[in-house]
Amino acid sequence: MSLLEIEDVDKSYGDEEVLHDVSLAMDQRDVDVIVGPSGSGKSTLLRCVNRLTEVDDGAIYLDGEEIHGMDENDLRRRVGMVFQDFNLFAHRSALGNVTLGLTEVLELSETEAKSRAEEFLGRVGLADQADSYPSQLSGGQKQRVGIARALAMDPDLLLFDEPTSALDPELIGEVLAVMEDLAEGGMTMLCVTHEMGFARSAASTITFLDGGRIVERGPPEQLFETPEKERTRTFLGQLTDLNR
Amino acid sequence: MTDGEAVTDPTETRGSTIGSLPGRRRLVVVAVGSVFWTWLLARWAYHNTVLDWVATAFGTPDLVRAEQGVRGREGWIPAAPFEGAAEAVDGVAATLGPASALVDWLVWLFDLAAFATTTAPALAAGAFVTVYLTVVSMLLGLVIAVPLAVARIYGGRGLRSIALAYTELIRGTPLLAQLFFLYFGLPLAQIAESVGFTGQGPVPRAAAAVAVVGFTINSSAYQSEYIRSALQSVDPGQLTAARAVGLSELGGIRHVVLPQGLRFAIPGWTNEFVYLIKYSSLAAFITVPDLFRRARTIGSETFQFTDIYVIVGLFYLALVLTTALAMGRLERWVAIPGLGSASDRG
Amino acid sequence: MAVAAPADLAAVLQTGDWAFVLGNWRVLLLGAVVTVVLMATSLTLGFLAGFPAGAVEAYGSGWTKELVSTAGVVLRGTPIVVLIVLFFFGIPVPKLGSVPVVDVRLSAFLAATLALGLRSGAYQSQVFRGAIQSIDEGQLEAARSVGLTHRQAVRHVIFPQAVRRSVPGFQNEFTIVLKDTSVAFAIGLAELLTRAENLYLQPGRDTAIMEVIIVISAVYFVLTFATNRTLDYLGDAFSIPEGSE
Repeated sequence: MSLLEIEDVDKSYGDEEVLHDVSLAMDQRDVDVIVGPSGSGKSTLLRCVNRLTEVDDGAIYLDGEEIHGMDENDLRRRVGMVFQDFNLFAHRSALGNVTLGLTEVLELSETEAKSRAEEFLGRVGLADQADSYPSQLSGGQKQRVGIARALAMDPDLLLFDEPTSALDPELIGEVLAVMEDLAEGGMTMLCVTHEMGFARSAASTITFLDGGRIVERGPPEQLFETPEKERTRTFLGQLTDLNR
Repeated sequence: MTDGEAVTDPTETRGSTIGSLPGRRRLVVVAVGSVFWTWLLARWAYHNTVLDWVATAFGTPDLVRAEQGVRGREGWIPAAPFEGAAEAVDGVAATLGPASALVDWLVWLFDLAAFATTTAPALAAGAFVTVYLTVVSMLLGLVIAVPLAVARIYGGRGLRSIALAYTELIRGTPLLAQLFFLYFGLPLAQIAESVGFTGQGPVPRAAAAVAVVGFTINSSAYQSEYIRSALQSVDPGQLTAARAVGLSELGGIRHVVLPQGLRFAIPGWTNEFVYLIKYSSLAAFITVPDLFRRARTIGSETFQFTDIYVIVGLFYLALVLTTALAMGRLERWVAIPGLGSASDRG
Repeated sequence: MAVAAPADLAAVLQTGDWAFVLGNWRVLLLGAVVTVVLMATSLTLGFLAGFPAGAVEAYGSGWTKELVSTAGVVLRGTPIVVLIVLFFFGIPVPKLGSVPVVDVRLSAFLAATLALGLRSGAYQSQVFRGAIQSIDEGQLEAARSVGLTHRQAVRHVIFPQAVRRSVPGFQNEFTIVLKDTSVAFAIGLAELLTRAENLYLQPGRDTAIMEVIIVISAVYFVLTFATNRTLDYLGDAFSIPEGSE
């Protein structure tokens, strides 16, 4: 059974159809990269998975369970999310950002939460920044805290919503390195990103979304080398050029 | 604090009185407000000395009745129906026994309406004083506030400290203490009286002149703060560009910075206007016969303190809400496309 | 009001107006104490009323929100002097007597506290509501994404930030309420301004009006200054550290 199954999902905002009949399935340890032009519905699809947005039609299953019937807080504990704008809690230190979910949702004690948070900050290379506040961190550091915050909840699946788009070019590498580590470690990840280098090296599947529909989906070699659709070739070609 | 010299908080602003009125409430304010103002203007015209003089010259001496003393004026809406209604409802209440609390309240409402119609002419006269005190003081205050703000930003060391001391002193002490100082402390009233503020005919009394001085000084300090922060929000590149086309510093301030900055200042300025309508009620304590003092006098004559203060509260609410709405319209009217009004900037 | 013992008064009569004011420092000090206490009670009431009111205006719906925002408009649109006299005459306060040393009628103090406090609450609610609404939507989403409920997210993520952002607005309220305590003069509450008037209304003391008012203005100014500085200090102490990125 797949870990995540998205079945014929439709979503519209008013008259605008953002997702149309989108279906995909991911197994445990899969790293799925979604690419597509802006406005293609990538972020909406991601937000449907942890129900920040509700689908209009279709169904999404996590571990065989229809997510619409689940308690949304429970779902979100099991599905972590990393945001484009980091969205670190501005009033809490890096450590405090990680511990909030641990104490309030997992109901760990303060000391347990603290040691666990320290462990995960260490894993993203920020053990020394535990007491820094978001405004004292660089963009890359912020995003790594964001990843540690999601990771510490021990999620089954991690969603990445353009995690490097808001970063200065020289800071992108440190975030991608953490993501690649995670992928190697067997984390199941659904990523919206334009980083083709990451897609090539870490992705198990690439999905090309355009106009709310899946145009093409397959392993990286297939999409990069022998795409079925001309549109895929053009788009990926542009992205690869840009990344160079 | 960037300038490191302000004594009280340099960004002190008074919170927005009304904020935005949502659709339905806005309609109510517009409807009630226009009736209120039509009535108010008619009342003022009816007892206006100048209009009386004109009407008399045209052979209709009874059209305008300026000669009537404020206390002798009668309402246009008769009080009798409301009194009758109150009595009738009261009669019903007597039969209801203990469950009559709600009905009693209705009786009070009718009594209040009857009381309002009999006291309204005197309150209209008071409202006139309130409005002219506010408008005159705001405008005179603005005349002082603009140079004050410019001095705070662009002045030399000496000029800056004088302007700062003035605003901080005024904003650091209560308005009522300032009015007492001017009226009871200084011989300002006698001076005003000797130059002709005698309260004869259309000429206001000396106390009103002192109140205008007090409000002008007070509002100039607050207005200058709004203007200063608005001017500082104008991109400094604007002045540089003005200098680059050959304008003098003062010319650049006058033709480039002020026209942009003063627009940013409008929301704060209109808020200040509303504040002054409310705070002009303190003029009552230096004997100015404004809206509040009229109410106080009626209260001590009739001992219906609560009733008259509820009525005068509604008068002030009507003045404040209609002003806020009208000022909102003014804001949109003077807006420049692409130049966000200050309210957009939070 | 007995201002000074007759013996003192005779002594003061010989000297100038300044000496008269200084000789009555105890009276003015008591007035200042009443002013500060009134400010404190009013601001406390204002916070207790304004904080929930702001939350209701930000998150509420239906008639509660309608009621709260209408009450806010009425309180903010009515002059403080009208509110004070209305609470004084309009609310049936039981005869409460007065506090001996400071000579404050409790009914007047209560009316002033209610008027100043509720009006301040109406402004504080605006400050707090604005602060809540200024917080980025992403903060709530991030909190929800770790599995916090809406209530937990508001409590642990939105409120702590909103309260900090409200500090400058609350600071304004401190100085505004402080200055407006003088309006309690209207109901004869023995705060600083009322006591000042009582001083110069004594027979033969009308020459001291200027001096008395200058002195109490200085007291108000110092109180405003001290309040602002204290709040600046507290604001810095509790602010979220910012780095030089």
